[in-house]
Amino acid sequence: MAKYQLQLAHLYGNLLNTYGDLGNIMALKYYGQLLDTDVQSRVVSVEDEFSADDYDLIVLGAGQKFEQSIAREDIDSKRDELHRYIEGGKPMLAVGEGYQLLGQSYINQRNEKVAGDKLLSHRSELPTDGEPVQGELVIKSLLGTNMHGHENHDLVTFLGNGEKALGTVIEGVGNNRDDDTEGAVYKNTFCTNMHTVLDRNGELAKKMLLVALANKYPDADLTVQQNVKIESPY
Amino acid sequence: MSLRSSVAAGVGHLSYSVLHGIFNRGSSLPGLVALKLDPDILYHYKDRYDFVIVGGTNGKTTATALAVQTLKQKYPDVLYNPTGSNMKRGIATIFVTAPKPKKKGLAVLEVDEANIVRIVKYFKPKAFVLTNLFRDQLDRYSELYATWDRMLEGVRMAPKATIIANADDPIFNSVDLPNPRIWYGFNDQPMGDLEAPSNTDGVVCPKCHHIIHYGFITYGGLGAYFCPNCGHKRPKLDYEVTTVERMTSADSVVKFDGNEFKIPVGGAYNIYNALAAYSLARFMGVNSSSIKNAFVESPEIFGRQEKVQIGDKEMVIIMVKNQIGVDTVLDMIKTDKEPFSFAFLLTALPADGEDTSWIWDCNFETLKGHNIPYYLVGAANYKDAATRFKFGGFKGVNVEPDPAKLIDRIKEIPTKRMYVVTCYTAMRQLRKALAEQKLIDGGME
Ligand SMILES: [Zn+2]
Repeated sequence: MAKYQLQLAHLYGNLLNTYGDLGNIMALKYYGQLLDTDVQSRVVSVEDEFSADDYDLIVLGAGQKFEQSIAREDIDSKRDELHRYIEGGKPMLAVGEGYQLLGQSYINQRNEKVAGDKLLSHRSELPTDGEPVQGELVIKSLLGTNMHGHENHDLVTFLGNGEKALGTVIEGVGNNRDDDTEGAVYKNTFCTNMHTVLDRNGELAKKMLLVALANKYPDADLTVQQNVKIESPY
Repeated sequence: MSLRSSVAAGVGHLSYSVLHGIFNRGSSLPGLVALKLDPDILYHYKDRYDFVIVGGTNGKTTATALAVQTLKQKYPDVLYNPTGSNMKRGIATIFVTAPKPKKKGLAVLEVDEANIVRIVKYFKPKAFVLTNLFRDQLDRYSELYATWDRMLEGVRMAPKATIIANADDPIFNSVDLPNPRIWYGFNDQPMGDLEAPSNTDGVVCPKCHHIIHYGFITYGGLGAYFCPNCGHKRPKLDYEVTTVERMTSADSVVKFDGNEFKIPVGGAYNIYNALAAYSLARFMGVNSSSIKNAFVESPEIFGRQEKVQIGDKEMVIIMVKNQIGVDTVLDMIKTDKEPFSFAFLLTALPADGEDTSWIWDCNFETLKGHNIPYYLVGAANYKDAATRFKFGGFKGVNVEPDPAKLIDRIKEIPTKRMYVVTCYTAMRQLRKALAEQKLIDGGME
């Protein structure tokens, strides 16, 4: 057993489950081991209780629009606790449709504009040319590293007040075709369009784990963890 | 037939015989030529044939070929689109190049979800056979419910056609339709109360949007589903698997409606394919023993497995295109009693699907309990595949970026057999190399 234990909520993990977010969780578990930390993951879905105090990490993944609409019906019931979690600076990763859900509004499968859960300030819209975005994406991230991933989204997103971009686009599209931004960061909530982002970008996994450890173990000396070098997994 | 169509059909014939000898790609050219001359040429075949349309994500080709094999007993002229070329021009090709049927013929057509509406425009089928709906390539166009809506558009244009559908797939029972319905599925296990694993597609009750439960699960999200919230459940089965007597990586012995059938290849998904063909054949009036013979007489129809002998090693090549494809293949090869080696080849060209995130949802970890002393990942996207296996806790996995080199690498394996589970582009590269070394017949595609 590792020295530290973290609890991860895989939010709507049985609905927003199409684009390999299990890979993000496997990355957190893998890098967790390098940081002497066990990460326990649990699916928290419709009608399940969610308390911010029970979890140290959240992954809210990407999926299909039908399933996104079902998560949308439920997420209001978890809104207060999610708000407390986010404002408390706990780390969360939101990808694709999960990213859209947290914002002010997005477009559903019937091309209707619907309200998001309004936990963050961005909004997602149909691109003016209607063209979905797919391809390789490279950004200069605010962690200082270049991040690589595959983007595959039919909506474009515009950041709002208080949000920073996860990075600046070097290659690919990112949030939209207008402002060279990709993803959103608010406190320790990291949003992105990149599928399985943590598998190719271990630095972000490390960052989330370190934040979670500092939150849960405020008196621990995490120097060893901070000094762990992240190498490309392959 | 109008003069214009006759000319179009005639030119189609000519181009097939001429072009087939010159180009390998003759398979859909006659149809292309005929459609150029008469875009509505299909309309002119509507009275000469009865039609059946086979749709769904996986198993269309196998179910279609098997059904044809059985239906030949009843119809002297049975057409189908054998190369899997299921676009309009492929379908046009089979009509313009077929001899004129003496009495009414039958056409069993494997049609892509999006094309059903385009084909039904020309003729009303007697039946639709619906195999399953899974996420295929991860583009936004192919979301499960969007695909289903496109299929329904075609189905709604033929309200008299009987729908012969896989009852174990909840999506096929999500809307009311005026069509007569026939349901097939598994009924070989006691009922419990299960939920599908969290990475399963489409586990939401289509009526009330709660998470669906299962009495048992056959694979993926298929099984005897029921909704604990609203009571919606799997419809009563008309044709069913009553017993699975044996299931190995090489074959299955099962009972359909109490009668024994041998299926000359492994895998639960091939039992579904055979059951779909059986259900259609029964609906069309073919008896059970004729169907039984058709299955064992045509083993090459089943699946995309190919066995290649390389020295004293056997390479078994199985093409996959999505997560559910990998998982069904894993389930099948795990029934191999001998130790074996395992290779996974990942490519991400448009033909493969460019978003490789699906590899993280494959249940590769279930291989760990088996005697597999040698793993290899490879092809153009080997780095993603290697990361997948590394994070999955596999140690000492071999890496080979060039699929052609598997012919040499297989010499180093400590087992007799290696399963090569591969995406389309990597399979083409491997087969090309095998053909160059005369290990397989290069003419096959
Ligand atoms: Zn229900």
